[in-house]
Amino acid sequence: MSDSSPQPVQLLSLDGERMPHGDFDPWVADLDGPALLALYRDMVVVRRIDTEATALQRQGELGLWPPLLGQEAAQVGSARAVRTDDFIFPSYRENAVAYCRGVALTDIVKVWRGNAQSGWDPYTVNMATPAIIIGAQTLHATGWAIGAQNDEVDSVAITYFGDGATSQGDVNEAMVFAASFQAPVVFFCQNNQWAISEPVRVQAHRNIADRAPGFGIPSLRIDGNDVLAVMAATRIALDRARTGGGPTFIEAVTYRMGPHTTADDPTRYRDPAELAEWKTRDPLLRLHRLLTLLGEITPEVAEATQALADAAAAELRAGCIGMPDPEPLSVFDHVYATPNATLERQRTDYAAYLTSFGSSDQSGEGR
Amino acid sequence: MTMTTMTNPATVSTVPGLTAPTPTALTETKTLTMSKAINEGLRQAMLEDPKVVLLGEDIGALGGVFRVTSDLLAQFGARRIIDTPLAESAIIGTAVGLAYRGYRPVCEIQFDGFIFPGFDQIVSQIAKFHYRTQGAVRMPITIRVPFGGGIGAAEHHSESPEAYFTHTSGLRVIAVSNPQDAYSLVRQAIASDDPVLYFEPKRRYHVKGEVVPELGPPMEQAVIVHPGTDVTLLAYGALVSTARDAALAAADEGVSIEVIDLRSLSPVDYAAVEASVQKTGHLVVTHEAAQSGGLGGEIIAAVTERCFNYLESAPLRVTGFDVPYPPAKLESYHLPDLDRILDGVDRVLGRR
Amino acid sequence: MIQVFKLPDLGEGLTESEIVAWLVAPGDEVTLNQHIADVETAKAVVELPSPVAGVVRVLHQPAGVVVQVGEPIVTFDIGGAAEPDSAPTPEVEDATENSAVTEEPSPTEQREANLVGYGPAVERGGHPQRRARPGAVAAAPSAPDPAPTPAKSGGERPRSTPPVRALARDLGIDLDTVAGTGLDGLITREDVRAHISESVPASDQHEVADSSGAPTATPGTQPGTERETRTPIKSLRKLTAAAVVQSAFTAPHVTEFLTVDVTPTVELLDSLRADRQFADAGIGILAVVAKALCLGVDRTPAVNTRWDEPAGEIVQYNYVNLGIAAATPRGLLVPNIVDADRLDLRGIAAALAELTTAARAGTTAPAALSGGTITITNIGVFGIDAGTPILNPGEAAILAMGAIRVLPWEYRGQVALRKVLTLSLSFDHRLVDGEQGSRFLADIGTILADPARVLTMV
Repeated sequence: MSDSSPQPVQLLSLDGERMPHGDFDPWVADLDGPALLALYRDMVVVRRIDTEATALQRQGELGLWPPLLGQEAAQVGSARAVRTDDFIFPSYRENAVAYCRGVALTDIVKVWRGNAQSGWDPYTVNMATPAIIIGAQTLHATGWAIGAQNDEVDSVAITYFGDGATSQGDVNEAMVFAASFQAPVVFFCQNNQWAISEPVRVQAHRNIADRAPGFGIPSLRIDGNDVLAVMAATRIALDRARTGGGPTFIEAVTYRMGPHTTADDPTRYRDPAELAEWKTRDPLLRLHRLLTLLGEITPEVAEATQALADAAAAELRAGCIGMPDPEPLSVFDHVYATPNATLERQRTDYAAYLTSFGSSDQSGEGR
Repeated sequence: MTMTTMTNPATVSTVPGLTAPTPTALTETKTLTMSKAINEGLRQAMLEDPKVVLLGEDIGALGGVFRVTSDLLAQFGARRIIDTPLAESAIIGTAVGLAYRGYRPVCEIQFDGFIFPGFDQIVSQIAKFHYRTQGAVRMPITIRVPFGGGIGAAEHHSESPEAYFTHTSGLRVIAVSNPQDAYSLVRQAIASDDPVLYFEPKRRYHVKGEVVPELGPPMEQAVIVHPGTDVTLLAYGALVSTARDAALAAADEGVSIEVIDLRSLSPVDYAAVEASVQKTGHLVVTHEAAQSGGLGGEIIAAVTERCFNYLESAPLRVTGFDVPYPPAKLESYHLPDLDRILDGVDRVLGRR
Repeated sequence: MIQVFKLPDLGEGLTESEIVAWLVAPGDEVTLNQHIADVETAKAVVELPSPVAGVVRVLHQPAGVVVQVGEPIVTFDIGGAAEPDSAPTPEVEDATENSAVTEEPSPTEQREANLVGYGPAVERGGHPQRRARPGAVAAAPSAPDPAPTPAKSGGERPRSTPPVRALARDLGIDLDTVAGTGLDGLITREDVRAHISESVPASDQHEVADSSGAPTATPGTQPGTERETRTPIKSLRKLTAAAVVQSAFTAPHVTEFLTVDVTPTVELLDSLRADRQFADAGIGILAVVAKALCLGVDRTPAVNTRWDEPAGEIVQYNYVNLGIAAATPRGLLVPNIVDADRLDLRGIAAALAELTTAARAGTTAPAALSGGTITITNIGVFGIDAGTPILNPGEAAILAMGAIRVLPWEYRGQVALRKVLTLSLSFDHRLVDGEQGSRFLADIGTILADPARVLTMV
């Protein structure tokens, strides 16, 4: 079901009205009021986490944070469609997906604080850790999917990446392989319009969703700020993969409301009018409108949602600030799964060097 | 490595009409070419562990451009012998995904010079996964690479890229020199939970040798292939037999060379090297790869640190020049041969 | 409780920012993350979220002022008792401290964040200093060379190989003084050994038996005038000189003499020589003296001690490493026989023979030269009767054995020609007093005068 029409599929208007769409409607027919409310709560919490993490970086508690402000629906809507036995291969911005997957908040920020190169054991949540090399994870997802195929299970790999990533060789090679093997993998592209300071028109001369069919992979182009459209599209793609229909490419059209990372200054390259325009398409806003229309937003609900968000923020803050610094000699840990004599010797030498300073405090100065 | 009973492997083949007899695993000592020895090692590894899968270009029906994977497709089927599209980065990257699912992928890079498109996946991903995830995710991936020159080839088919990988933490690097090691070490490499770059000297693929169906000494260990007392000569890959020939020729002049086949380039078996240098007091290292930034420099620096007071003369390297691999008509000048190695030996012994 | 907030880096990689506007005033209550100020970096205005909940006490800089990263900008009162994990913040005037929000100075806040992380550490400035190590600065790993002699002509360092350098170091040889015969003037192992054997022996050396050693000119001898010849003070001569000086002027030496009729000992030696069992044992008078000395040590242990000034202790050796002064091609050496007190007469004789051979050949091992506890010097080989030997440094006693003379002596009430020998014992009066020294010497004399008397002494 390729869809390369200029307008991305939308099930929820900016005013919060439910727009019918024949192909997509059946896939979200089960989303009643409480279910929509749950999605809304998720989005409120992840936005709050995102804001808190940004503040923590401004306060020197994190080295870096890649904000997902504006992309809540794209991440939550898709993450909540994925099964626990499916495997997620994200980029570095999918912290809302990690939240939905059940990663502890402290673990989410561990890598951004610089305590470790990753925050969680992928096998506990069936989600890989953030990938910094752009697009590399798409190959990993494809390989995993080929493995699932070999194992004759109906688990699916889903991989997240941005508009910029679609220019990378690895992403294109992944699509070659996915098509060739008809691997059960979903390519989920959040086109948030910007790759640091480069607008998407530098990456793609036509809609990104138009690329996949060239590889033989059907694609869906959806309004990434419409959580219903996102969930529907993801469900369609997952189902196709599970039933032997092979890979799907989803382009979720959204907007990066914040900077690329906390050290970026978008005012240098973005038109403020564009930001203002996208503010009207805010994903939380329109879902809130729908829920209000449905009568789901009571004062109690509003308060409870706020409390949930506050609690998450407080937990995140406490966990982040309370994280102990790693021990110096742990720099040598886990390089190999098997013993390595040369590395052991380096470790021994360094341990002796640290001891030569006499004190039990081995943190050194000026670190 | 899991031991499974030897079930009848599926004989699904993607090529209609292909019927090959199902070869049995090597069960007794045989004389084999190096390529056949690797073939047997792969077969044994695949029989022992159903999670071992091979990926590469042309490895299936063709059996690989050097026939190293012949007959494996017929024996194990297309799900385990995977002919991939022409994309090295994807070969390596999908192997990562398979490793995530508990497979033990064995990737073949068709020629040394083609490894570079896959370099990022090897160095940025495979090498770092264990460290990145504090041991949660393992990458028991073996990357087989025919390497080295001396086959009169066009550009990019005679490279020696091992130093890029020995310099990358998280990877193990092996180079075999003979059929026995080719058989034993490919099995060990596949069984290792660490990623292994496994370099095969392509100009020795057709050399025959006795192969005992065993795992042999651990792959971290170097092996003395020709004992001696006057000078230690380190080599790996194709140059091991050149070094041995040099030792035999030198014996005629009364010079006793101890030739060591390093086998493991990362980590290097310094215990063996140190013991030899302490005995001989002289060291020559030889490799095809270019001199500057090559393994010879690293080894000599380490030996100097460890064995300084035993060194009677400065250690010396006999290597390829600091040039891109030359055209076929010039390669014999570039590659270290018996005479250049013995010239190096003469220098360290003060004979010239 | 007071908390000072210092201007953090805002991820723009700049070292200063301008406070554009304050959104709060002193006395205002603020919540965590509340937008309290606008700060300008480059062309962007960034919102500053409050790091704490509390009351604003002081705004340190007014709007419009450019502030350095790390300078205090606002002080809060966060109220209540201090929480267990928070400590009083650093003083406001301490401008070199880092973050104000967390209690322990966070290293990250010294840095200027960039797109991908905390950013580089801020240079401290001032004179670079290394991290202090406890204790004295470690000596250079290689043994210190002997005092440097002038470099060879041309100012070039001597060329050699690592093992040869190590050998030269162990032997106390300065490579500057060794001529190299290897390729391009390389100093070889043989060159170092040859250098040792070519050292000029001084005229008052003790020689072991008939040492040939015709003194040859030391390499490196500077030609002097016609009327004098100059030799650089170096190598073993230098070491020996230092040793005797130290010994002579540190330990108060007392020397006692005893002349003994050793005819019975000589007769004993003759009979041992005639005995098939001992004929090849090579037992001579020195071996007997050595044995007697060991027995004497047993009865007067004070002579087998060491004065340990730094530790403030006297060390009593419970073994005897008997040094035998020997003239070698290199000069005077005192190799010792380890655990001589455990050896029987035959063993001592064998050890002496071995020691002599090595000394003559110049192959005495360096290990044999240390660890001695008491020494014998045989001046009798030069035909000398007695002397005032200088203690081997670190030892309490040294016994000089004179030549055997045939002299008229009292024997059974009559004058008879007897074989007579003088023993000269020098001892360190700090460790050995007169009575002890005398008794020790007397014991040795007693044994030599009548070997059978040993039965009464053991």
